[in-house]
Amino acid sequence: MNVSQMAIRSLDAFARMSIGRAFASGVGMVAGGFLILLVLVAIFAPWIAPFDYAAQNLMNANAAPGWPHLLGTDEFGRDVLSRVIHGARTSLSVSATAIAISMAAGMTLGAAAGYFGGFFERAVMTVVDLTWSFPDILIALIFVAIIGPGLTSTTFAIAIAYLAQFTRLTRAQIVRLKRETFIEATINLGAKPSHILLKHLMPNAIAPVIVVGMLAIGDGIVLEATLGFFGLGAQPPTPSWGAMMSSGTAQLFLSPWVIIFPGVAVAVTVIAVNLFGDELIRALDIRDRLRGA
Amino acid sequence: MPNLLEVRDLSKRFTSAGGPFRKARSMHAVNGVSFDLPEGRVIGVVGESGCGKSTLARLILRLIEPSGGAVNFDGDNLLAKSPSQMRKLRARMQMVFQDPYSAIDPRYTLTRAVSEPFEVQNVTPKKPMAEEVADLLEMVGLNPGLAASYPHQISGGQKQRVGIARALALRPSLLVLDEPTASLDVSVQAQIIGLLEDLRTDLGLTYLFISHDLSLVKYFCDEILVMYLGRVVEALPETAAPARHPYTRTLMESTFEPDPKKRRLIAPLEGEVPSPFDLPPGCAFADRCPNASALCRTETPVLSTETGHAVACHHPI
Repeated sequence: MNVSQMAIRSLDAFARMSIGRAFASGVGMVAGGFLILLVLVAIFAPWIAPFDYAAQNLMNANAAPGWPHLLGTDEFGRDVLSRVIHGARTSLSVSATAIAISMAAGMTLGAAAGYFGGFFERAVMTVVDLTWSFPDILIALIFVAIIGPGLTSTTFAIAIAYLAQFTRLTRAQIVRLKRETFIEATINLGAKPSHILLKHLMPNAIAPVIVVGMLAIGDGIVLEATLGFFGLGAQPPTPSWGAMMSSGTAQLFLSPWVIIFPGVAVAVTVIAVNLFGDELIRALDIRDRLRGA
Repeated sequence: MPNLLEVRDLSKRFTSAGGPFRKARSMHAVNGVSFDLPEGRVIGVVGESGCGKSTLARLILRLIEPSGGAVNFDGDNLLAKSPSQMRKLRARMQMVFQDPYSAIDPRYTLTRAVSEPFEVQNVTPKKPMAEEVADLLEMVGLNPGLAASYPHQISGGQKQRVGIARALALRPSLLVLDEPTASLDVSVQAQIIGLLEDLRTDLGLTYLFISHDLSLVKYFCDEILVMYLGRVVEALPETAAPARHPYTRTLMESTFEPDPKKRRLIAPLEGEVPSPFDLPPGCAFADRCPNASALCRTETPVLSTETGHAVACHHPI
């Protein structure tokens, strides 16, 4: 088998996988394709960006979109396109890291609560629900107060903001699955709790959690931009879409491109994440399992 | 034959905690059940749904923790075993479940499902695993070519065969069959019953067969226990024995007879099964029994074993 045959085989296998099926529709292909492109842009930002994102040129401040600054320059004469490209890096990495932390913690807590039940479950769920009752911004402010403003605070704030959602969803899945006959049958084979949890309950519970995680990355990007807008997130000169929009408000009428392009980047990314998330829900056929969590 | 299983006064009481707005309630799902299952025999447990027969099966296998009584399996008191000792013992006492549709993990191929018992019990089969799986599938009448299939790709009858293969993988001595054919088509039921009969003689198995279908139990079993609301009301020492308890007689008379000459009027039971949460004093069957007397409504009859054909009734037939 040559390389191209192998490539076709693996593409074919991917298309038959549930996640691959999300790309099958037109919407899924466009949204998914855009997200893949965005991830590539974020990874290769230093090579793609035409200018240094931090290089100032006060002589050429607030230049309108044109050549060579395709999206214009900001109040320090920095290239907006390069900053939007580098901003993708900040937004995606902060949001994805935060959601990954949140998912890992939420799945562990939710699975343990759902499996063991009793007082432990009630204690875990009470604490987790408590985090849900605080506004995201307030949680971020607490972290800013403790460890100072920056991306670490933003990451932890987003992670805690979504912890309750992952915990509740995982717990609901586990509680439902625990009653299935195949669990009783496997216990009757003499399986240890760890085998039941890791080989049966978690693999069956994970699909909806992954989809919610996917959708939460979109929300995480918005939250990161919000915190950045208030100056609680990325600190200058690190480019972040939210912080760029915040600095753009000063010259909203003089040079609107400074605020428009990062805003468009946030909007398009979040729309793409949500559309692709919907396609994933359809492809995995788990709409009803996302309810009641 | 020595007794493989001895059940003594086994009981399970389910309680729901009370609160400010509800009363604490408790029900006796299984109440003082005792019987012996000698090696190689088949005992059937019959009763209406809700009479505690499935709970009894799970108490015997300790899938539910009993509230009282004793279960001796091959001389071992199961209720005294630690969780890890119990896990090891489970290899020798297996169960086939009522609902084959959810008895296999939907993400497991048949190979993985059938080899799971070895993985769980940390047993290395004598043959390579693939061969062992193929042999097990063949033993239950499945084409080994199905090994890579997922449960949703096979029929209900095939799923039940996979369930049997999983249960038999570690060569248990006791097999508890919890209505193994109740959710299958009639034609498939007959195949599964035939398979279970063959396996019993080939592997020298001992069965505890739970069913609500008295004619099936009469065909399949050596002895019959009749349960009503958590209690054994009659123990038929052989399937041809005439019913002594009025409830058993009603059950026997409600089976349909295919021969028109033998057809008779079916007299359905009057009245409702009492709620297990507030059982009336005396015999639980008294409200539906044609022979009930004042004694039946005050004093609970005990299962008397004097005659070798035990019955719990003040006025046996």
